[in-house]
Amino acid sequence: MSESNGAMIEMIKVSKIYQPDIRALSDVSVSIAQGEMFFLIGMSGAGKTTFLKLLCNMETPTNGLIEIAGRDIQKLRGKTLARMRQKIGVAYQDFKLLTDRTVAENIAISMEVSYKKPQHIKKRVRDLLDRLALADKHDAITGELSRGEQQRVALARAVANSPTLILVDEPTGNLDATTTRRVMDLLTKCNHSGATVIIATHDDSIYRDTQHRIMELRSGKLHLIREGLPQ
Amino acid sequence: MSFWLAVLRQVARNLRQTWPSQFMTLLTVSLSVLIFAFFYLVYMNMLGVGDKLGDDLRLIVYLEEEPGPEMQEQLRRKILAFDEVEQIRFISKAEAYQRFADQLGNDRDVLDDMPRDFLPASIEVVPLKNLRSLSQVKLFSDYLARLPGTLKVQYGQDWIERFYYFTRLLSIVVLLSGGLLIMTTVFMVSYTIRLTILGRQAELELLRLVGATNNYIRTPFLIEGVLQGILGSTVGIISLYTLFHWIKLRFSGPGILTIFEFSFFQGPTVATIIFISVLLCTVGSYLSMQKFLRI
Ligand SMILES: Nc1ncnc2c1ncn2[C@@H]1O[C@H](COP(=O)(O)OP(=O)(O)OP(=O)(O)O)[C@@H](O)[C@H]1O
Ligand SMILES: [Mg+2]
Repeated sequence: MSESNGAMIEMIKVSKIYQPDIRALSDVSVSIAQGEMFFLIGMSGAGKTTFLKLLCNMETPTNGLIEIAGRDIQKLRGKTLARMRQKIGVAYQDFKLLTDRTVAENIAISMEVSYKKPQHIKKRVRDLLDRLALADKHDAITGELSRGEQQRVALARAVANSPTLILVDEPTGNLDATTTRRVMDLLTKCNHSGATVIIATHDDSIYRDTQHRIMELRSGKLHLIREGLPQ
Repeated sequence: MSFWLAVLRQVARNLRQTWPSQFMTLLTVSLSVLIFAFFYLVYMNMLGVGDKLGDDLRLIVYLEEEPGPEMQEQLRRKILAFDEVEQIRFISKAEAYQRFADQLGNDRDVLDDMPRDFLPASIEVVPLKNLRSLSQVKLFSDYLARLPGTLKVQYGQDWIERFYYFTRLLSIVVLLSGGLLIMTTVFMVSYTIRLTILGRQAELELLRLVGATNNYIRTPFLIEGVLQGILGSTVGIISLYTLFHWIKLRFSGPGILTIFEFSFFQGPTVATIIFISVLLCTVGSYLSMQKFLRI
């Protein structure tokens, strides 16, 4: 995925209205550059999750255009859509983990669908678990973990396949300060190796001191809070 | 990881998770194949026996008097009006006498005192060797007996007709059990695969989200169907083969079974049965996917 003008995401006048009449997003326009780290903040119910779901094609916008790496994602079907999704890592707010599988199996899934070699998968899983302080949970059944642990497994799965776009929804909701630090370190590392990272959160501890762009959703509209420093 | 390795892992996982219902399906498929193949085997062997019987089957129509060429043509047309036949042959009194004399061989001198035309002229009718004409031998003979100028009609034993009637009945049973085979395999396989799909909705949904291609999601279910077909039909055929040998050993004394040579299916027939079962199972799994895999 590469685009000449450097924009990873183009959203133009995007609205999302849930049935019957819930206006989650109205006329949102934003351009996010390749390799940018972007914070999306807002109160509960502001539409952050909706914003991310539109980007990964889980929901379709009621109006407006969404382009990722120069392609209108609503027009993607079949194989092209699958390939696009392999390049987008998402850590869902509700995790979407397979609770009857082990932690390692859950993380491996995102690499298996793009046919990575088994040795590579094993190595990558170990490495990620180390970074997220979950090394001893490799073979644990995911459903038996604490919320905070599950949250990190979801994050590990999102970044495992080295996607070019990473969407994280509330990555630190259940974590203490030290573990939050580890999570942010991992995301920063992914960002440094080229990935575009979008973090939706209302945890001000992770964006308080950041150099990156911060935008806030307020009643479905997007407002700039802080301009990112040029890198 | 290669596509097929990933797919096979999925299959193994599916089988581990749903093996009780998978096993029941396998059993059903085997049983259906066994039932169908059993009747088909009996039918095939009956046909073989029928061929041998049919070789000797002919109707002999004794005539009051020797027909002239014009009369022969008329009779021939009348016979063909009933059904096509393999052969019609007119035998004159002289020919009949000659044949009889040949049969007597060295004893032919007993004929010396007899007039040369003491045997009646006759028509030999050889029916076609197909089930339809063979099973209506009796009707045919009644028809021939009613032709003008016939004395009587002779043909092989009554039971030949009954035998062909039975074979026809058997062919219906074969068709019915074939229908049963189609229904059970398609429905059972699509049913188990539906169970698997419904039991794994969450996982299939997630696979789509992380970018699994349709083939990645679908192929394991197709393979499951193919496996059911291969295993089910093989088990069915092997059971039939065992049964066949057991019966052959058990009843190898004197009797009807020794008069006729009974044989098992040839390789191509076995291959066809397996191939069709695999096809049916694949159709079953495909139907299920069409309905329940929202891709
Ligand atoms: N599937 C849905 N059907 C109907 N309404 C929905 C649906 N999903 C979200 N909404 C509504 O849209 C609005 C935005 O929801 P969203 O989940 O995007 O908020 P959020 O910013 O992620 O909140 P939180 O911080 O609590 O996760 C809310 O009012 C919510 O009730
Ligand atoms: Mg949310």
